[in-house]
Amino acid sequence: MKAIGKYTWIAYTSVRSSLAYWGEIAARTIFMAMILYIFMRLWTAVYEGAGAERLGGLSLKQMLWYLMITEAIVLSSPRVSVEVDEDVRTGRLAVQLLRPLSYALFLMAKTFGERAVRFTMNILSGSIVTLVLVGPIPMSLSGLAMFALIVPAAFALDFLAYLFIGLFAFWLESTAGLWILYSRLTMLLGGMLMPIEIFPDRLQPILRNLPFAMMVYGPARIFVAPNARTLLSIAVSQMWGLAAFSIAVYVIQNIALRRIQSNGG
Amino acid sequence: MPESLKNYLGLMAAYVRINLNAQLEYRGAFISEAVAMFVNDGSWVLFWVMFFHRFPALKGWNLQDVMTIWAVAAGSFGIAHALMGNGWHLPTIIVNGQLDLWMLYPRAVLPHLLLGRTMSTAWGDAAFGYAVYIALVRPDLAHFLMFVFLTVSVAALYVGFSVASASLGFFVGNAAALCEQWRFAVITFATYPQSLFSGLAKLALFTIVPAAFVSYIPVEALRMLSIRHVLASVFGAVVMLGIGSAMFYAGLRRYESGNLLSMHG
Amino acid sequence: MRHEVEIENLKKNFVLKRWHGLRRSVSEVAAVDGVTLTVPAGEPVALIGPNGAGKSTTIKMLTGILHPTSGHLRVLGLTPWRERRKLAYRIGAVFGQRSQLWYHLPPRDTFELLSRIYSIRRDEFIRTRDVLVERFGLGPFMDVPVRKLSLGERMRAEVAASLLHRPQVLFLDEPTIGLDVVARQELRDLIREWNRKDGVTVFLTSHDAGDIEYVAERVVVINHGRVVVDDRVTNVRRQYLSSKILRIQFQRAAPPVDLPGVTTLARSEYELKLAVDSAVAPIPEVIGQLLQLAPAADVSVEDPPLEEVIARIYQTAKGGPV
Repeated sequence: MKAIGKYTWIAYTSVRSSLAYWGEIAARTIFMAMILYIFMRLWTAVYEGAGAERLGGLSLKQMLWYLMITEAIVLSSPRVSVEVDEDVRTGRLAVQLLRPLSYALFLMAKTFGERAVRFTMNILSGSIVTLVLVGPIPMSLSGLAMFALIVPAAFALDFLAYLFIGLFAFWLESTAGLWILYSRLTMLLGGMLMPIEIFPDRLQPILRNLPFAMMVYGPARIFVAPNARTLLSIAVSQMWGLAAFSIAVYVIQNIALRRIQSNGG
Repeated sequence: MPESLKNYLGLMAAYVRINLNAQLEYRGAFISEAVAMFVNDGSWVLFWVMFFHRFPALKGWNLQDVMTIWAVAAGSFGIAHALMGNGWHLPTIIVNGQLDLWMLYPRAVLPHLLLGRTMSTAWGDAAFGYAVYIALVRPDLAHFLMFVFLTVSVAALYVGFSVASASLGFFVGNAAALCEQWRFAVITFATYPQSLFSGLAKLALFTIVPAAFVSYIPVEALRMLSIRHVLASVFGAVVMLGIGSAMFYAGLRRYESGNLLSMHG
Repeated sequence: MRHEVEIENLKKNFVLKRWHGLRRSVSEVAAVDGVTLTVPAGEPVALIGPNGAGKSTTIKMLTGILHPTSGHLRVLGLTPWRERRKLAYRIGAVFGQRSQLWYHLPPRDTFELLSRIYSIRRDEFIRTRDVLVERFGLGPFMDVPVRKLSLGERMRAEVAASLLHRPQVLFLDEPTIGLDVVARQELRDLIREWNRKDGVTVFLTSHDAGDIEYVAERVVVINHGRVVVDDRVTNVRRQYLSSKILRIQFQRAAPPVDLPGVTTLARSEYELKLAVDSAVAPIPEVIGQLLQLAPAADVSVEDPPLEEVIARIYQTAKGGPV
């Protein structure tokens, strides 16, 4: 019980310090406004050109709200990898790896705090921008509840991936390359720029089962078109993803630990 | 003592040599950062490939046009900041008072200090721009020569713009966020077909956010092999360099009065 | 006869804007408040003063980085802030905190770059470089990355770099800061040699009394933006720098000390802090006499802090002629 209390406190402190930057909120709003404005112009042209009311099962309005959510998610990710990278180089990680679970939990609590704040700020500013650009879409309490259910696991998955990448600092001069690769894969395969339904039919089943889609596409789709069956399938995929990533991180941590022990740090 | 162009080019060559030597001391990081940017740019082009697979035409623009946009935008940005990396880092130089060191040399401050550093990711951009144009657009000799000329012209525009945006730091306290947003705006808007925008937005893209000069005009030039558009591009570059220089030297006069320092405490 | 450096009634005001909640106050601060100074060619000058006294502001005006509010200023017959580039060919500068050597590369690479920046003719550059390498002892590490050099080696390379274009005036800002005793003396010797043999006018700012003693012939003390003392080093030394601080730790209770030229500054059970006027009582003699009083565990001799010296100078200057 005490341990949970400690991690909650860490998350809370992190939230408080992030809230201090009001200027950042303004910056984010301008940022989102630019991106969403471009997307609106792009997809209006697409819908007009295709002469369609719906594409990938979404109306133009829903499409833009979808894109706003994916942006809000992607833009909220804290640079965990950079921190882990630094911890490895300064040797702090070697010490913390001796108690790996608590290190992972500590980092997760800290980043969740930051991420929750950033995400909320993004949603708020993004919503205002999207309302101005295309207007509202029908939303229900149950739909929002489904959305709220699915977001935490998405963040946890993302966090584990970053932890995984950061640990490679033990072997690589710079993990920046891996981080870029990961974020671009998320962008391309996670449905950040267009929903999975728009992709070629042959690719769709593969993409739906990749972790990227569970992090980005899943929550955004549930937000614009809440559906219990979709929710269930996404939630199940997320559980599988969490299990797989946890194992991967565990394995890498052990290899790293053995490396420290044999090299003496 | 006025330097001839030959002398300046010799100085530029010396700086390229020393900058590369410095980067190659940590070649792992240098190469991974350049490759990371290459991958980043590539993933955007991949997105467009998937997009145009589904939606063959977008207001008269096709995949080849968009690839040309990316080739010019990335190639020019790469050339500009591989040669004059300090253009990008100028905000930090101003805030940290590092201008002093540059003022001790018998050279005009701006053209000299711009050479002082290279941006490793810019090399990836430059390589990508040229790779995409040569391999995917497959130009004939005339188009290729025009492409090379245009990337140099737009690179000059980028340098002017980088300096202008950085020079805000001379006049406005805490200009870092504003500078970042302005730069982001130009780079982002430049990578989308200009036909998406009309009216006020289009006007803005030819003036305060000169993205049209980065991609639209060069792409039109290449599409029609139009000398007129090439001249327009050169005109834009000259104007932007002029604005950038003017802002920098006006700011430098303020710096020399020492009142800049008191502003920052 | 034209002097290398001519300063007359130089003034520099800074506008200070401060925020008090929502209100803003604007005030003018005089960082340099009427400095007058002329330096003939080849003279090594030490410019000293406490932090905030106006030293760096003066140097920045001399090198053309800042322009004055009023006053007359000429270096080598040129107006620094108006003819900055022309002047830059003939002056060199080493700012202790900021390095012009590329950190990850060997000094050789920076030297090559400098030959390009200053447009030095190839054969001239090679000749000057080789002379500098030999006299500054850079041979062993010309091809070693600067980051791997000791601070002493780095500063030698730094000063050598500033001399590549054969300047007539060399500005040095805290060049020996952070150096160990040996490296410090080496650097001082090199600077002094270059001044005496090659006739380079040296303008040195420092917090170290030793720098003044060994390198400079003339001392200018600046405080509150004004010149407080402008005198030969020998005179200043005789008056102020002959006093040393001697700390001695005895193995038994510290005995009372009554020796000529020796003042007790502080006393604890085993330790004594003494001020010794070495003109009256040479240090080795004093130590000998103290050791005869009681066996000692530790002895150290140091210069009085420069702030103290300056304070004393300032006190005297208030009454005497300036």
